[in-house]
Amino acid sequence: MKYPDSFQVTASAECEIRIERDFNAPRQMVFEAFTKPELVRRWLLGPEGWSMPVCEIDLRVGGTYRYLWRKAGAPDMGMGGEFREVVVRERLVATERFDEAWYAGEALDTTLFGEEGGVTKVRLTVLYGSREARDMALRSGMERGMWRRGTTGWKIY
Amino acid sequence: MGELAEPFAMTQPAISKHLKVLERAGLISRDRNAQRRPSRLEVKPLLEARDWLESYRRFWESSFVLLDSLLDEMKTAKKKKKRRSDEVSR
Repeated sequence: MKYPDSFQVTASAECEIRIERDFNAPRQMVFEAFTKPELVRRWLLGPEGWSMPVCEIDLRVGGTYRYLWRKAGAPDMGMGGEFREVVVRERLVATERFDEAWYAGEALDTTLFGEEGGVTKVRLTVLYGSREARDMALRSGMERGMWRRGTTGWKIY
Repeated sequence: MGELAEPFAMTQPAISKHLKVLERAGLISRDRNAQRRPSRLEVKPLLEARDWLESYRRFWESSFVLLDSLLDEMKTAKKKKKRRSDEVSR
């Protein structure tokens, strides 16, 4: 069973983007899928054609993570950051910065995991330093073709 | 500007302030020379903003469909493992 209907992306507050989705699996499992490199690299890929040759996660406060995406005919896309808060199965706070700085400074990602009757609710909030930074990140991502479905390419976060 | 202010319970200076913000953001343009200074809605940046969000949304949508399959696979693997250990303990 799938839960696409619960999916929501909103740019509500000035410098935020919020992504929400329900998953038909226990919270422990969803948390693992978000934090174990061998699992993350199997789904955090966007549309067809991308792979994740680098996926490193040191899950502890002060630990870093590093992602790199690759697709034939497109330049590699890399990003990473540092964990600020790690509450297993509940809450992750981490900085995010792309290798190519499209926007000034870092963004702060907060991921919340909640479970209700076997269904896990995930809410990811990306907080940019300013509204301009948020809009620039969105625009650059699209101009580079990272978020476009189809032949050109994509990206993440 | 008087016409723009009409439907709102706001003073004209307040409306003027809002228009300035919209103009700075590139969402409206105003004719500097004309006496009435008519405002024109700039649709392109609004459409662009919608498109950026839409393409961002699609990235996550595609990824989450892959995650659904992965979670199904994990659940099946867990059941199998449990069944095996039940058989062993029997």
